[in-house]
Amino acid sequence: MTNLVSKLRQSTAAAVLAVTAASFAGDAFAKDLTITVWAGGTNDSDVYRLDAIEMAADILTREYAILGEELNITVEKKRDFADWGAFKQAVTLAAESGDAPNIVVTSHLDIAPWSQAGLIVPVEDYVDMDTWPLNNIYDNLLEITSYNGVVYGLPQDAESRPFFFWKDTMKKIGYTDEEIDALPAKVESGDYTLANVLEDAKKAVDMELVEEGYGFYPRVSNGPDYAQFYQSFGGELLDKESGKLLLDKQAMTDFYQFFVDAVDAKVTRKNHIGTEWDQWYAEVASGKAATWHGGTWHYARYTGKEGLDDFFGNIQFTLIPAGNENGRANTITQPLAYLLTAQDNEDDVEIAAQLIKIASEPRINTLHAIKSAHLGIAKEQSNIELYANDRWAAEATERLLGQANAQPNHTDYGQFSQIMFKGLETAWTGTKTPAEAVAEVEAEMKATLGDEVIIR
Amino acid sequence: MRRAHLLGLGFLSPALVIIVMLFLVPVLLTVMFSFTNMSTATGISGGAYEINSASLRKLADAGAQESFLDALGQEAFVVDDAGITAVAAAYGEQFANEIGSQMLGERFTSRRDLERAFRKLKSRPRSTRDIKKAADLFKRSVLNVRFETADGLVGAVTGNGIAMTPDQQELLTRTIYTGWSWTTDNFALMTQIPYIWRVAGNTVMYVVLTLSVSVGLGLFLAITTFYLPSLPAASFRAIWFLPRILPNVIFVLMWKWLAWDTGFISSFLANFGVAPRNWMLDTDIHAWVFIVLINGMVGASLGMILFGSAIKAIPQPMLYASEVDGASRWQQIRYIILPQLRWPIMFICAYSTLSLMTSFEYILLSTDGGPGGATEVWSLMAFHTALDNYAGNLQYGLGAAMALVLVIVGILASLVYLRIFNFNDLVAKPRIEQ
Repeated sequence: MTNLVSKLRQSTAAAVLAVTAASFAGDAFAKDLTITVWAGGTNDSDVYRLDAIEMAADILTREYAILGEELNITVEKKRDFADWGAFKQAVTLAAESGDAPNIVVTSHLDIAPWSQAGLIVPVEDYVDMDTWPLNNIYDNLLEITSYNGVVYGLPQDAESRPFFFWKDTMKKIGYTDEEIDALPAKVESGDYTLANVLEDAKKAVDMELVEEGYGFYPRVSNGPDYAQFYQSFGGELLDKESGKLLLDKQAMTDFYQFFVDAVDAKVTRKNHIGTEWDQWYAEVASGKAATWHGGTWHYARYTGKEGLDDFFGNIQFTLIPAGNENGRANTITQPLAYLLTAQDNEDDVEIAAQLIKIASEPRINTLHAIKSAHLGIAKEQSNIELYANDRWAAEATERLLGQANAQPNHTDYGQFSQIMFKGLETAWTGTKTPAEAVAEVEAEMKATLGDEVIIR
Repeated sequence: MRRAHLLGLGFLSPALVIIVMLFLVPVLLTVMFSFTNMSTATGISGGAYEINSASLRKLADAGAQESFLDALGQEAFVVDDAGITAVAAAYGEQFANEIGSQMLGERFTSRRDLERAFRKLKSRPRSTRDIKKAADLFKRSVLNVRFETADGLVGAVTGNGIAMTPDQQELLTRTIYTGWSWTTDNFALMTQIPYIWRVAGNTVMYVVLTLSVSVGLGLFLAITTFYLPSLPAASFRAIWFLPRILPNVIFVLMWKWLAWDTGFISSFLANFGVAPRNWMLDTDIHAWVFIVLINGMVGASLGMILFGSAIKAIPQPMLYASEVDGASRWQQIRYIILPQLRWPIMFICAYSTLSLMTSFEYILLSTDGGPGGATEVWSLMAFHTALDNYAGNLQYGLGAAMALVLVIVGILASLVYLRIFNFNDLVAKPRIEQ
């Protein structure tokens, strides 16, 4: 019996020794690590947000091998989140419990609150911003992914949010081909405004070219798109001088009133918010709506899943028209960014940083840009045939990006935009008049944002 | 006796564990959170001290002197002997000597400029990260550095030659702390949120309407199936039990299919020339009808089972006797069945009020509080505030305070119910054994 026990002890000790030796030996020669990447708002056409990291891992492994180090990176990808809210909840709570993914693909708007909370670390602490491909990224995009003068993230894509017209319907209400071609310029100069949108949409409904509620067919859920209409009526989101958020009551009232007018004119449905996205995409891509607004990436959806063969023959796109003389034609760009989360192990953060740097390679980013109909991040992309030969990327960049502005990076902007949208919803659905809704917005902003918002 | 006590305690322990873990701990945490200003930006696990342009702005708002702010906001990398010594220790004499001979006394206003200068040196480290770390050894300012403790920050500030009065020091550490702090503001804030009363009203309406439907329908089903032959009765009960056993998401998805613009109701009514619409979200009233029906059906199935078994417990001879007396079905229900269902009905009412008040999953899945916040109930508001919204600005503190209101209302309601039920009577010793 004792014999057996001692033998068992010996063999256990031997095993322990062997395992320890093996793991030490492993440490010296090979480094295995798992990098997790989570991407929000990512559909089938956006998979290169994640796949780019895998491609980068392959390149980085080869670079290490040349330097004589064995690096094995397993990339774990995750994008199946119900919506942006669910994604941000998942990232925040995972990070709070010390379980954050290494790399997050999210809106630049998250940089302010997440950096204050210490959930993310500045990318500029880990990579040399002067080297390729980072020195080729557009400066204005890098500015959008910076906060307090520190570069926190690398732009992952750019986009903007145009206004769309269904050409056939426009022709039937009296537009000639030349007039339709001239629309983008007329919108940009302020000659064609949201008032004209209502007029034309009403004509389309009255002539029964589209059903009631389909004259102007907006986005179905909260998003930066609605801040565009606030800007159309002269609203500014940030007071540049003080760095505080700005509530312009007049602009906000006019903006709410526009949607109420659209409902009253029966060109927009009162219960539009909450429509299913799938239904919405199918309808706008088949000409069921006369006018609507969306994002540059919708091109991929319309021409892909929805089967719209001739985009340019059927759809005209412009900036979001000005609302009145106070405002301007505009569009908002909301670049997504690769962010690095804080980790216990600095080496992992460094590897993750190198991965997002390689993933920003123009060639790799172009795969994403063209597959998902987003706009590029780097100057050299216009020298890559896949990008340069894409009509959508070229035209959308030229027509929209010059006029695009981003929403402000401010810790409280999320709340600001949430309150603004809630106010819009109560006015739109008729629960409150626009003036009452704005009064509610003002009261809530005063209470929750305090000094961080200027009310005008 | 003693052993019996222990045994009792043993049997009770799983329940105790559950009560402590699933009720007491969450409630205590809710209480704790509700007295903080925790949010995504402050984080949960604690904060740090960081001087950056955002926090300098806050300091200016708080009344700090301009000269003090200027000193704090100055970014400086100075190539001095102390830095060179540190570089020598970390990255070798050669690199340090090269810096000393070529750059001593130079001053840079950003790390990037210093990195660029380093990259021109032959003996520099070949890793980007080491260059950055070497550059940090020359940092002579506190801008954009994250300090875990107030002492660390104060030490660094004074170490960089910025003098502070105790008042300034207090102002600095208080204003630029990034974490959460204790506060009672959430409760005041709640009263200032304009839509809060509408949400409270919605909650009352939701509880009352849903309860009426679930009790009414439950009773109706229990009584009608009682008078049916046993096989059809059992089949009906099984069918009506489906809402409860179906996964929530699937149950609600089926309602959505029914109500969409392109769904069943719209397609069917299109035959009669009715324009398709989203029947669930068309108006506030539509939304409410769906919310009440969806929740009512789930509640009705529980009522049906409970009331059904209570009816079975009514001594059959009473019913026979009433039939001999010539009582109609309605009279049987009115004078025999309903009076004997008093306790089950009250129980369902009490139980359902409490559970409805805190349940929001079916609303979340169907209307998500829309249209325009018309069906937003209190618990859903707390969830949206604390844990789920488009912008990802989770306000744990305010959301917890909202949830705490529900906890308090729930406890008060329970006390009232205990009183109505006369709990002591219910748990009194059975007379037959006395």
